Amino acid sequence: MHEGIRPMWAALVALALTVTACGGTSTTGGATSASPAASLAKADIKVGVVISLTGVANVYGPTQKNGVELAAQRINDAGGANGAKLVLVIEDDQSTPDGGVTAFRKLVSQDRVAAILGPTLSGTAVAAHPVAQSAQTPTIAISNTGDGIVGKCAYGACDYIFRASLGESAAIPETVKTVKAKLNLKSVVLMYAQDDKFSSDGFAIFKKSLDAQGITIKKEIAFSKNDVDLSGAVTQALAENPDAIVDTSLAGPAINILKEVFKRKPGLPVIGGNGFNTPAIIASAGAAAEGAISGTAWFLGNTDPVNKDFVAAYKAKYNTDPDQFAAQSFSGLYILLDALKRTPTPNSVLHDKLRDQLELTTGVKTPLGEFSFTKDHDVSQKIYVVQIKGGQFTLIN
Amino acid sequence: MADQIYNAIFIGSIYALFALGFTLVFSVLDILNLAHPALFTLGAFTALFAMQQGVPAPLAVVLAFTVCGLAGIALDRVAFAPLRRRNAPPLSAMISSVGVSLIVIRLIQLKYGPDLQSYPRGSLPAAVFSLGGLQLDTLRAVIIGLAIALMLGLTYLVRRTRLGRELRALAENPRAARLLGIDVDRAIAATFFLSAGLGGVAGALYGFATNSPYSQMGLNFELKAFSVMIVGGMGSIPGAVLGAYLLSFGEIASLAYLPSELRDAFAFGLLFVVLLIRPSGILGQRAVDRV
Repeated sequence: MHEGIRPMWAALVALALTVTACGGTSTTGGATSASPAASLAKADIKVGVVISLTGVANVYGPTQKNGVELAAQRINDAGGANGAKLVLVIEDDQSTPDGGVTAFRKLVSQDRVAAILGPTLSGTAVAAHPVAQSAQTPTIAISNTGDGIVGKCAYGACDYIFRASLGESAAIPETVKTVKAKLNLKSVVLMYAQDDKFSSDGFAIFKKSLDAQGITIKKEIAFSKNDVDLSGAVTQALAENPDAIVDTSLAGPAINILKEVFKRKPGLPVIGGNGFNTPAIIASAGAAAEGAISGTAWFLGNTDPVNKDFVAAYKAKYNTDPDQFAAQSFSGLYILLDALKRTPTPNSVLHDKLRDQLELTTGVKTPLGEFSFTKDHDVSQKIYVVQIKGGQFTLIN
Repeated sequence: MADQIYNAIFIGSIYALFALGFTLVFSVLDILNLAHPALFTLGAFTALFAMQQGVPAPLAVVLAFTVCGLAGIALDRVAFAPLRRRNAPPLSAMISSVGVSLIVIRLIQLKYGPDLQSYPRGSLPAAVFSLGGLQLDTLRAVIIGLAIALMLGLTYLVRRTRLGRELRALAENPRAARLLGIDVDRAIAATFFLSAGLGGVAGALYGFATNSPYSQMGLNFELKAFSVMIVGGMGSIPGAVLGAYLLSFGEIASLAYLPSELRDAFAFGLLFVVLLIRPSGILGQRAVDRV
């Protein structure tokens, strides 16, 4: 009931402000609210959020939802976008391309949102983003790390699509550069799950980066994401006597590898991709996780005040620590807010104006660090290379 | 080399432990119980739940056996017994077991979510010791020992005890067994209790070994256990154990001597060759001689 009343109140307040401004009593907000369009700016701004709340990626969707809802609450408590409240329209993409397309269609045609965040998976994004593109609705990817999401897109022009989630192709080279300098690496064994797209993509990027840094890959060992035990694969890797083991898998196999390495050759560095950036690694591998290194867009222990504030607020609201997905969805809404504030009447049809302002995004303070978009609409932020020390992710670059 | 043999024994023991319960139900009742992976997962999570309440690990394994055993009996009553009474074909039983499997996994997800879990810190033995140049850990050594003990125990039970005789009679001919005065319902309940209980123990032990149980963990075993059972000889318990070790040694050997990308192709190729030589499996016999 009160949902319907709120916009009415907002309109009344806006009207009152306009009247005051016209009446000549000068207020700071008065100058811009002199036009009739400004009263619309005080109406709610609808923001679509498409995430995987069911299906295979339902591990990620719920924390993305937490992150973006926390951001909306804080933004609205602080006065919204120049006084206009942000209203989230959250849709489940069911972790499938079809689900993503359906959700995007609903948001652009029925809800007529100002902008969209999502969807969760890269595979869904390449199917759903064209819907936003053809409806010219600015969209920010908040968790897609694959190639072809922004810049050059296989489906054609994608000038309404932006990305706020750091890709592995940016994170891995930074990781390799850092470990080479820190550990004086000369040779590694490279392990990957050959039937997992995330891991085999990471494998290709690691291979290129290791070659570029002149680090010898003594052996490449493929395994399956469904393997019930990797002791045999680790034994083969250790037989090569590498300076470190690189594993691009997700957390499940990574835990198994860390435990085997710890048992047979404690202290040998294990380097990974984004699959390592989960507290599950520390909880399950325990002491065996110590020393593991990976590159990431965000980490819990970052002492930057914006991040500390975010972590504390998240913990207060949800009684658990945020993860990277929560941090990125939270940041995504703040990045959008920054552009909305600079856009006149962002809730009406002026999607192109919002797009232009998003392109000008520079140095927005987020839990990810200072955030900007590159000219290809991709992420420009600090890449954190972290190592597990004393059961915590600790910055080493 | 010794390292890899130890690895192969460990992996084979885990496969075998999983396949045992799977095989038992098939050998006695001709049912392919596709809910076995779900019971395996239930075992890991029963142990997790108990240990989060402060129950020590060995007792948690016993609990996993009991809870899963009872769940097995319930599974039979709900999913299989009604079909049996109506003389439904075995395929129907397979479908209803898939249904139960989905429900059990979903219930586990409702409580624990789809994420990796871990057992309470310090609740599992973490010691590593050296034996003749091998780095062994207590947990894996215990798992191998327990797996072998359970396999021997089950074989003894089926071959030498009164219950075992009843099970064999049931496997041969349920009608005749009933006429001989065997309490068929009790024997079926015992079969499910043992099968599911073993599955639960396997799940708890495997959960301990990885310390990262999750709701879908059992599914990784399904295909392998199925293959192991066929190669061993459908329904033969020692056959399933042999098949399990054959697969694990095949996997490790290919890892050691071939490019790792070819491992599964080699290991399963090996099983295929065995079937070409002995189409009914290593210890496969005519249906009447099973168990």
